[in-house]
Order: sequence, then C-alpha cells, then structure tokens
Amino acid sequence: MIKIEKSKFSVFIQNLVGDFTVFAPVGEGRQSAFDEVADAESVNTALQNTVQSPKSIFFPQTEVLFTYNDGDVQIPEAADKPFFLWGVRACDARSIMLVDKVFGRAKQRPDDPAFEDPYWKAKLDTAVILTLACNEPASTCFCHWTGDGPFEQAGDLWAVDVGSSYLIESLTEKGKAVLERIENASPAGKTEAAEIDSLRTQAESYLGDLVDLSELKDRMKQMWDDPAWDDIAAKCVNCGACAYACPTCHCFDVQDEGKKGKGKRIRLWDACMFPLFTKEASGHNPRGQAADRVRQRFLHKFSYYWDNYGESLCTGCGRCIYVCPVNLDIRTVVKRFLDIDAAV
Amino acid sequence: MKTPANPFRPIPATLEAVIPETDGIKSFIIRPEIPFDFICGQFAELTLPGVGEAPFAMASPSTKPDTLKFTIQKAGYMTEKLHALTPGELLGVRGPYGNGFAIENYFGKKLLLVIGGVGFPPAMALLHTAIANKDKLKSIHMCYGARSPGDIVYKDAIAELRENIQLDITVDNADDTWEGPVGVVTTLLKKDEIDPHTTIAVVIGPPIMMKFATLRLLELDFKPKDIVLSMERKMYCGIGQCRHCMIDHYFICKDGPVFTYDQLQESPDIWE
Repeated sequence: MIKIEKSKFSVFIQNLVGDFTVFAPVGEGRQSAFDEVADAESVNTALQNTVQSPKSIFFPQTEVLFTYNDGDVQIPEAADKPFFLWGVRACDARSIMLVDKVFGRAKQRPDDPAFEDPYWKAKLDTAVILTLACNEPASTCFCHWTGDGPFEQAGDLWAVDVGSSYLIESLTEKGKAVLERIENASPAGKTEAAEIDSLRTQAESYLGDLVDLSELKDRMKQMWDDPAWDDIAAKCVNCGACAYACPTCHCFDVQDEGKKGKGKRIRLWDACMFPLFTKEASGHNPRGQAADRVRQRFLHKFSYYWDNYGESLCTGCGRCIYVCPVNLDIRTVVKRFLDIDAAV
Repeated sequence: MKTPANPFRPIPATLEAVIPETDGIKSFIIRPEIPFDFICGQFAELTLPGVGEAPFAMASPSTKPDTLKFTIQKAGYMTEKLHALTPGELLGVRGPYGNGFAIENYFGKKLLLVIGGVGFPPAMALLHTAIANKDKLKSIHMCYGARSPGDIVYKDAIAELRENIQLDITVDNADDTWEGPVGVVTTLLKKDEIDPHTTIAVVIGPPIMMKFATLRLLELDFKPKDIVLSMERKMYCGIGQCRHCMIDHYFICKDGPVFTYDQLQESPDIWE
C-alpha cells in the first residue's frame, strides 16, 4: 500500500490520461455520473455515490453492434485505449462482476453455452478499476445486507481517502502496473492501517440495522400469490428508473436503424418493468399486469439469479431507492417478504 | 486459440422462395452463405436489413443445412415486412440457438406429437428427424389441431406424411369442405389409443393449448418427465442475455426451448 498526497492527485490523473481513457465521478446530485475526464479538476471527489452507475461504461445505454450495407457487415473497432476507472464504490465494482457472469464469463451449469459478449468483454478485459472506500455511506445504502460493505476490497486497486492523502493498494497485476507509475508516493505503514480501521468502523456505523437475506430466495418464490405484489404494483408507476439506475440490471433490446439493406443494429437498455418488454407480436403478454412485472424484477434479483449463479443480483447500492419517483424502497419490500414489520 | 465469435453477427442469406401456406402464413426458403448446421427444435434469428430481426424455428430437415425453411405467420411489424418480400432478397441469419429435441432420448419408445396451430413448423423439423430414425422408434403419431380447415399448414405434405406416421387432424371450426373431426386437439388424445408408459409426448403450440394438452396427458397417466414441451416466449437475443424470455430462472432461448414438464412444473407462470 502506498500513500499519495491529495496535492499530487492531479499529477496522478494526468499521468494516466495519456495511456487510458479515464472515467471518474462528475457532476452533482441527480446529474452525477461516471464520465470521461481529461484532468483531475473535473472529478467530483466529494460524492457519496453517483446516481448513474458505472455500468454504462461497459454496457452503454445505446451501443452500435454493427453497421451493414447490402451483405457487408462492419463491427465497430474496439476503443484504442484501455479504460481506467477512478473512484468506483465496492458495491459497483462487484455489480460489474455480477453482470460479467451473464455476459459470458460464467456457466450456469456445465453444458451452458455461455455466449461471450465481445463488446462488453473487450472493454472490461483491458480496464483497470480503482475502488474507493466509502467513508460516509448514504442513507439509501444497504450494502451490508448483500454481503458487501463500504470498505470491501474490489477491482484492481483499492483506495481509502484519509483526509490529506489517498492510501492505495493494488489487488491485481493490472492494478500493480498502474501503481508503479506513481511518483512521489510514500509507503503506508501501521499508522495508516490504524487510520483505515477507524474510518471503516465509522463508515459502518452509518449503515442501518442488518437484515439477513438468506431466507429471501425461497420466501419470495413461496409467496408468489401474496397480496404484497399487488400492494407494491399499486404504488409502482412502471417507469423503469430503478432498472436504469441499477448497476446490475442488464436487460436489453436490439433494434435496427436504417433503410432497406443499409443501416445499423443497435443494442439499447430495456427493463422488465415496461409492459412492452414481454408483449408478443400476437398481442399476448405473459406479464401483462404490473404485479407480474414487479414480481419478476424482485424474483430475478433475489431468486432466479441465485438459482443460476449462487448469489443475489443486488449489491445494496441504494440507487433504486434514490431515483424512485413514488418512494418505493427495496429495503421495505425485502422486509415485507421476510416478515419483518414493514408496510410497502 | 479460437477467437470468440461475435454472436450478434448474422450470416448473409438469400431468399430463394416464398410459399403461401394459408391466408396469413407463408414459408420462406433461404440459402445462407455458409451451411447452417442445426438440430431439430432449434431456432434462428432472421434478419431483415433495415427492419430488424426476430426468432423463428427451422421447419426444414436438419440434414439439409444449405437451405433453411421458415414458416411464418404475419403477426407484427417484422413479419408483415417479411410477408411482402419476393425471392432474391438479401436477408441475414444467426444461430442456431436453443437445445433442440434430443431424438435419442425417444428411441425405443412411441413418439406422440400434440401440435396446435403454428406449432406445426418446429414439429415438421422433428418429424423429418423422427421419420429418418423410424426404425429406432416404436411408432410416430401426431395429433394436430387447427382453428379451421383454412388454417392448416403444409397441406401438400400431409399425404406423404401419412405414409410414415399416424396423423390425426382436428379443427375448432369446420366448414363445408371438412370431413374430419371437430374440436380442440386434446379430443384426439384417446385413452385406449395411447399407452403413457411406453410413449414420449411432445407438445408444441400456443400457451393455452400447451396447458390443456399437458393436463390431458397427465390425466392419461403420463409422467412429467415423458412430456416434452417446446416453449414459446418473446425471445430476442437468443443467447441468454437480454432477459425477455425468462420463465422462472430459465431462459427459453438458451436453456430451452425444449423442456420436460418435470423441469417446469414448479414454476407458477409457465402457461402465461
């Protein structure tokens, strides 16, 4: 682990900009997101968590899969520089790994064809992710419920903001190579380790009561016909904001833009909350009611993904709570299914 | 090391022929630039450049990877555009996707197909394979239900099929030309003609038909593992990522479309 003075932060970013496309938290409040930065001045280092998750760096909201002209198909060139992500929170770093399984890195079972997504893979395989510990988790955070935590180590590099400096530790070879580029860094020792422990304890104290989710996978399935789904659906306006803000939601649609024989095929974010998501050409809709769609969203997060990959598809980032226009709180939903007193 | 192929990239294919089947259904014969190896029951994503792509099951025999046949009902935007095409048009195809029918699992048994409406095209691919393996199956029996005599597809192939298999056809609504049985397809499933203990039943059709066919087969004492369902849900990507076709934790496109009923019977929404 090394220590780098915050006064050297701009040198650090400048050093990377030549060889990497650098992404970092920018903007304020509801406009906050991960975006490409050219210098350290653009980075908002004071954000708790961005409202837009970093998933769009690897899985853009719209992405051209290929262009075509008669029989000629052109796949877009991969980015010329690898990505460097500064300041990803541990919850988001793990979210990327959860989506990575779906995009071909993991098999659901030995004979699963597990198609690899070349667009996602090309960006992620060369990317270097620096995770920044959360000194002050937001009121919407519940990462301790999902087995995550504000000081969990994830990504290629792990950093802690200790006031006047950052402490940075490399977790992978890719991370180590970046760390070696940093000049004017001093090694961190026992004093810093104690500092981290104290910050971690303080950060964890900001989180609310712990809820054990181990029963949730089966409970939600068993409560398929429970009126709770109707109660949630009665409040939900099917806007899909939760799915778009969610770092693990990855449903997509594919559409063509163009004229006869010439055009481009584009992948776009979609969401299981939209009535059209499952509507078939015949007019038949397997999930025609709002309650069906709400149930699908939560069952996918807490049961179905678990069936396929042995963990839940939520890392407690709390974005869905923050963006929901009708104040639906995933924590309240979860508590209701676990019979912990909570009205949706 | 093999570079991972881009699963979204279609293979150019030429539309060779368009065959009208019924009022709203046509068959399309396409020739992909490279042979398209598949097994019966699998499907492909068909591209119409400038319009989009959609999944359709191959209806042609898997022994003929050079030309593929798709039988398509005009139902939405994409299929409307497809129905307007004439031979010579450039299309695209990618796949094959899904698991398909494991014909070897049916060897030594009687094969019963319970088919509704436009379930006939994927059933046709299975029939081609089953007839080619006729000596390994005790018998092949297909019960097919169409809405009306005018909705029956592959009329020209029926006589030839009957040389190889027992084919019973019923219609929901008869007209003056119809001399066969009238009623839903389950009325063809007769207790004294079907032995549930030596038969594998394959069900393909619209959700409501599949539900009642499955219930009838269970009533006839079929074991859930001997009822094979080719499931339909709005599919898109074909590769188990876009999530449109999820039923329970399964992706119809990747884990199916062929399931046995014992895999799905605990899922509350399979007939939705």
